[in-house]
Amino acid sequence: MTLLDWAILVLRVALPALILPAIVIPLVWYERRMAAFIQDRPGPNRVGPFGLLQSPADVLKLFMKEGVVPASTDKFLFHLAPGLAIFAAIATFAVIPYGGTLSIGGRSIPLVGADVSIGVLYVFAITSLSVYAIVLAGWSSNNKFSLMGGIRSSAQLISYELAMTTAAAGVILSASSFRLTEIVSAQQGTWLGLIPRWNLIPQFIGFLVFFISTFAETNRLPFDLPEAEAELVAGYHTEYSAMFFGSFFLAEYLNVMVVCAMTATLYLGGWSLPGFDPHGVVGVLLSVVVFAVKTGILVSVFVWVRWTLPRFRYDQLMSLGWKVFLPLALVNLFWAAALEMWKAAR
Amino acid sequence: MIGSIPLTHVLLTSGALFVIGLAGALLRRSAITIFLSVELMMNAANLALIGYGAALGTLEGQIAVFFVIAIAAAEASVGLAIFVALFRHTETIDVNRINLLKW
Amino acid sequence: MDRLVFDAAAAIAVLFAALMVLHRNPIKSVLALVVSFFFLAVCYVLLSAPFLAAIQVIVYAGAILVLFLFVLMLLNIPQEISQQEQRPIQQLLGGAAILLFAVLLISLLSARGATRVSSAGAPKLAADQIAPLARLVFSEYLLSFEALSVLLLAALVGAFVLVEREKRP
Repeated sequence: MTLLDWAILVLRVALPALILPAIVIPLVWYERRMAAFIQDRPGPNRVGPFGLLQSPADVLKLFMKEGVVPASTDKFLFHLAPGLAIFAAIATFAVIPYGGTLSIGGRSIPLVGADVSIGVLYVFAITSLSVYAIVLAGWSSNNKFSLMGGIRSSAQLISYELAMTTAAAGVILSASSFRLTEIVSAQQGTWLGLIPRWNLIPQFIGFLVFFISTFAETNRLPFDLPEAEAELVAGYHTEYSAMFFGSFFLAEYLNVMVVCAMTATLYLGGWSLPGFDPHGVVGVLLSVVVFAVKTGILVSVFVWVRWTLPRFRYDQLMSLGWKVFLPLALVNLFWAAALEMWKAAR
Repeated sequence: MIGSIPLTHVLLTSGALFVIGLAGALLRRSAITIFLSVELMMNAANLALIGYGAALGTLEGQIAVFFVIAIAAAEASVGLAIFVALFRHTETIDVNRINLLKW
Repeated sequence: MDRLVFDAAAAIAVLFAALMVLHRNPIKSVLALVVSFFFLAVCYVLLSAPFLAAIQVIVYAGAILVLFLFVLMLLNIPQEISQQEQRPIQQLLGGAAILLFAVLLISLLSARGATRVSSAGAPKLAADQIAPLARLVFSEYLLSFEALSVLLLAALVGAFVLVEREKRP
């Protein structure tokens, strides 16, 4: 492989990894303004025009605060946990296709970090690893509240992971592949020339199960009892201050974006729009914009739900995951299988 | 891709992992560590199975590992349930001290 | 290039496995094993088994070892006290047995020509193995698959029954 090939590969992989954390800063501002709008108050509007400089100011503050590490913590694990959380969030994005295939000068460059044959499984594997970040944070803080928060959070994560995986199995069934690029291609085109072939429509239950499970996976309201301010101090990140907390904060927002990108890829057709065939640079850039818009809409739903719904109690949360979502996801799987058999019989 | 990884390397790693797991199972006294060593031995066997599957160009190795991983999951859950029940009764994890047939 | 990555990943896996056995604190042992399993998954990918690598991370590292961690953390398992009740004869015999086993393993394998497999006529495995694997599991190995599901059900029920506390009168 020539130097140019290496450069292109590095760019393909590194670009989302660098851009995503940068998008978190305006995302925090967006969340705070939306929250204020829903709660009928102005929100941050003093620091810079429309409060846009509020987030960078907060980041600066977090950098300059003193990071207090309690004496009786396990130092290695205490420092490892936030890094692991960020790693898990960014590593997931490596397989999500964020644009069409760019054909420049005889090369075709698919806009995806790594198009592995086990795309969806890779995402779930990395999600399983993110459980460790939370468990380690909770345990290494040497604090009862953190431990309880960490254990509750990881139990919640692994329970909803099941429902999420089974819902995604329906999508895999309909696309006959684990590759995310093939799942996106299977959703191109329309029915009756009008309705896009997105998995949202035939597998609506699966979409609901998957989307709501992602709320639980990212510890967002209404599933955020593990980090509930009133019940558990701050749950697993009680003992983390300054930039350690900043890392968890960053990891949470990164997770939200990645999980919305995943939902957009699996159920909303990723970067494709019906009747839109990206050729050349402009087309591919437009496909990236389409992908960003879809992800942005889902992130707005995340923000909207957070400031609208009250929080679930822990036992309600667990029984919802096991007794409602898992059976629904299984029903969705049977439905998807029935659809495939009907399609094959035609 | 397969031909570039010599089988000797795979078997060496698998053997090393198995012997380390065996050492842990025989020489440690904490029930949890013994259990983890047994899991390590199973993974050593998995690696050998996959290595041979790749060397012979057949999928049987991967099928075997598929089943082994699922069985290991079942066994781990029951084993940990036994461990929890044991710990509740005896308050210790030192296997040298758990020497009564009935309590 | 693949050989280099495999050697590195295998070496790290063996290193962390050794750390697992040597550590006093059971939680650090579990975490060392997680890292070891992760690098084993990397080795599986290099041996044309990407599906199994993902399954290894999801099931072994991501579920079984998390279960271990839960049990350790919730039961507050103490660290191993190795100062008292040292039984040197146990350790001596154990070490001798392991050495004997290692020697036997190496000599038997090399004597039987374990690495001289004739892969001349064997087809090379393609990288994408999921569809053929699934076809095999659901056709030739269907009975094993169904038996496995019954086994998992039995384990589920068994785990529940084993941790039931006695009813207080």
